[in-house]
Amino acid sequence: MTAYILRRLLATLPVMAVVAVFVFFLLRIAPGDPAAIIAGEDATQEAINAVRAKLGLDRPVLEQFALWLWRLAQGDLGVSIFSNLPVTRLIAQRLEPTVALTLSTLFVAVALAIPVGVVAAWQVRKLADRLVMIFAVLGFAVPGFLAAYVLIYIFSVQLQWLPVQGYRPIAGGLWPFIEGLILPSIALGVTYMALIARITRASMLEVLSQDYIRTANSKGLATRRVLLLHALKNAAVPIVTVIGIGIALLISGVVITETVFNIPGLGRLTVDAVLKRDYPIVQGLILVFAAAKVLVNLVIDISYAFLDPRIRY
Amino acid sequence: MVAIADDTDAPRAVPPAATRWVTAIRRNPTIATGAVLLAILVSLAILAPWLTTDPLKQATINRLRPPSERVWFGTDQFGRDIFARTLHGARVSLVVGLTVAAISSVIGLALGIVCGYFRRIDGVVMRVMDGIMAIPSILLAIALITLTRPGLAVVIIAIVIPEVPRVVRVVRSVVLSIRAQPYIDSAIAGGTRGVKLLTRHVLPNTLAPLIVQATYICAAGMLIEAALSFLGAGVPPEIPSWGNIIAQGRSFFQIAPWTILIPGAFLALTVLAVNLMGDGLRDRLDPRLARRM
Amino acid sequence: MTNILEVRDLATHFFTLDGVVRAVDGVSFDLARGETLGIVGESGCGKSVTALSILRLIPPETSRIVGGSVRFDGRDLAALSEAEMRTIRGHHIAMIFQEPMTSLNPVLTIGTQIAENVVRHTGVPWRAALERAREMLDLVKIADARRRIDEYPHQLSGGMRQRAMIAIALSCNPQVLIADEPTTALDVTIQAQILDLMLELKEKLDTAIVMITHDLGVIAETTQRVVVMYAGRKVEEAPVEALFAQPTHPYTRGLMRAVPRLDAEAEIAGRRPRLQEIPGIVPALNRPIAGCAFAPRCTFATERCRAEAPPLVTTSAGHAVACWETARVLEAA
Repeated sequence: MTAYILRRLLATLPVMAVVAVFVFFLLRIAPGDPAAIIAGEDATQEAINAVRAKLGLDRPVLEQFALWLWRLAQGDLGVSIFSNLPVTRLIAQRLEPTVALTLSTLFVAVALAIPVGVVAAWQVRKLADRLVMIFAVLGFAVPGFLAAYVLIYIFSVQLQWLPVQGYRPIAGGLWPFIEGLILPSIALGVTYMALIARITRASMLEVLSQDYIRTANSKGLATRRVLLLHALKNAAVPIVTVIGIGIALLISGVVITETVFNIPGLGRLTVDAVLKRDYPIVQGLILVFAAAKVLVNLVIDISYAFLDPRIRY
Repeated sequence: MVAIADDTDAPRAVPPAATRWVTAIRRNPTIATGAVLLAILVSLAILAPWLTTDPLKQATINRLRPPSERVWFGTDQFGRDIFARTLHGARVSLVVGLTVAAISSVIGLALGIVCGYFRRIDGVVMRVMDGIMAIPSILLAIALITLTRPGLAVVIIAIVIPEVPRVVRVVRSVVLSIRAQPYIDSAIAGGTRGVKLLTRHVLPNTLAPLIVQATYICAAGMLIEAALSFLGAGVPPEIPSWGNIIAQGRSFFQIAPWTILIPGAFLALTVLAVNLMGDGLRDRLDPRLARRM
Repeated sequence: MTNILEVRDLATHFFTLDGVVRAVDGVSFDLARGETLGIVGESGCGKSVTALSILRLIPPETSRIVGGSVRFDGRDLAALSEAEMRTIRGHHIAMIFQEPMTSLNPVLTIGTQIAENVVRHTGVPWRAALERAREMLDLVKIADARRRIDEYPHQLSGGMRQRAMIAIALSCNPQVLIADEPTTALDVTIQAQILDLMLELKEKLDTAIVMITHDLGVIAETTQRVVVMYAGRKVEEAPVEALFAQPTHPYTRGLMRAVPRLDAEAEIAGRRPRLQEIPGIVPALNRPIAGCAFAPRCTFATERCRAEAPPLVTTSAGHAVACWETARVLEAA
């Protein structure tokens, strides 16, 4: 078991290495002169040179790479061009809202979508199933900001039940914290939920047609037990896989959702950095997000061993 | 010798074209719905200049008018006609979506075939693809855009790069599984050589999954472009794209929700149409694909 | 000795895009307590569907029991609610299936799969149920039961998996065990072991068995009475010795002839007897069959056979045949 975990852990290293190299070279293979572009259209030559120095572009490539890797190993993600603050500090400041949003979305999406998918499979081709499928198809088509604005329009503007925007840190009380996260979580999670519900349904349908479900029924077991223990546990692997893959959706969506709801998290940081062309921040964020994604996939990989005994032995 | 009566040899009457269309529609409702919806939207987009007024024309005297008989979709804070802007925005989104899908497919097809044939290149390329896939696509696109001058071409390239790995993966797996089939060995033994093998056996089998992936990439492309434009990192604000329109409607959302909801709904409908076609095509082509292999 | 199971005119139909498939078309038989009844026929003749119909396990979206009755210990199973039916399944009537690998849940331990049956029907606490599971594994002669309890199906061999299935089925001492091709997927040597085990357990626990198979060898070894099915109908029924001594229905005769035989004399004389197959194919079940279902393939068929379905006629003690031309058939034998 530990061997399996170690193996999966080691497998992430090459991917991270590629990401690191890729991110490094991104700056240097972009057409045109990145320093000039970042400095802006009316920048003087001095300003451009200053930017170039800040980006470390004035030294030979290999030296840059070595330096960069060295810094990376120490957790130094560089310095923002415009604010001169270390990127790591900027990221740490904005971390809580994004983590809170992502976790609450994950929780809401999984808690809603899996049961919905199970019910759809159980009631296949009947009304409940058709409704679920329609929702799933729509969920894929609705862009994050549309869902956000529709929700805001209905629940904040018209009904005035929930706040329009803003983030309330948990330090200021549990209920305001939750209140501020309800709409953003749903908006962020719509596509995610559609994906999970769809895969849950498909996986459950595949499992429900298996012989061992027939055996379970022939033992006269209660429907709930057959569905949730016998079926769902077998259906779990694809579902968990898609939960992991969907994290990428969440990470992408966070940028939009935080912008719409004015949540001061990493997503907003990204947007601000892009608009100001503060590349070190963007670069640092890419690394952080990619690492998060790889970490999540690692956790998913490891969870397979718990779900399917055949993988363990 | 007993003659066995068998009615499978009887000639089948060919039904008229109209009936064939109707059967095709009934058998593939998803594709049909998606195609019809898409056709409507594409027509609206193409005919936009003739159907509407100038999307850029400002008329502050008419600002923030809600949808009415004269102004079907209302106006924004500069008095611009949302109907005109929405239809023109359709052009941008569709162009971006289709271009992204086409370019990614071509690049992905080439890379996928190369990977499927050359083991050593495969190792390197797939690692790079894994790396690219580890980075969330919108962030990658954003990073690329940060580094270059704004423009439509940039946006397209920035969206293509994160989408290519998907195609490469699919094509590569098809190529690998085809090459492992016994009939390939016999084809080679029978004298079929490289290029012919490629065109006659490999390419036709990659076509179906490629088309399905292409539709999904088109949908993804449209969504990413809209997101980028919404964030201000996409198409320049002078060109009306759905993302731009929505971004510009943000400050007045509470009093003029139509500036956001209507273009948003159009985007959703277009993506829906493309997704339906992709789903329908996948359902239709996949089992056949499985049977062929 | 009363009958534990009485099936009368059971009819199960499948509703497909190609029409209504009459998988079971009016089948009747009795099962006495502690008896082993065999149901034999080729693939597609409806024997498995009959078994599933008894337990009402046929897929509800596409099929329905459209007629007849199944009485278990006097109770009409068709009249029971689904909840009541679930108290019968696994408890009073149990079933084992053909493919032990796919019929066992791969993500649950053997112990769990046995114990849950016990808990469900007897309500004992989980620990006691696991103890019972261990007892059952001993009973089915799986060595090292205590360790096997915590193992998963993929860790067991094919024969052991089938034993585990038997353990599950018999865990609550059912009065009836329906065995649907229990040895077909197993190696020949394992087959013999499993059949012996089943007979031994049947004696011990006094379980009635319905043995469904296409293999006449299994019939000969394990059953006391046999029902021969064809195209969803019962065509012959007899005590096992009588069936082999005097197969009366042309289909039964065809089945017997199709069994490869080692004829030492013929080998020596240089002529090996040809394998006799039954010409033709099984009729499609989605069209109503007028007359005898076997008529198209029967060498004795007459106009009457093709027009009118023959009723079951008892020829001698316990031996019934559905055939118009029984006299001619027996003469030609």
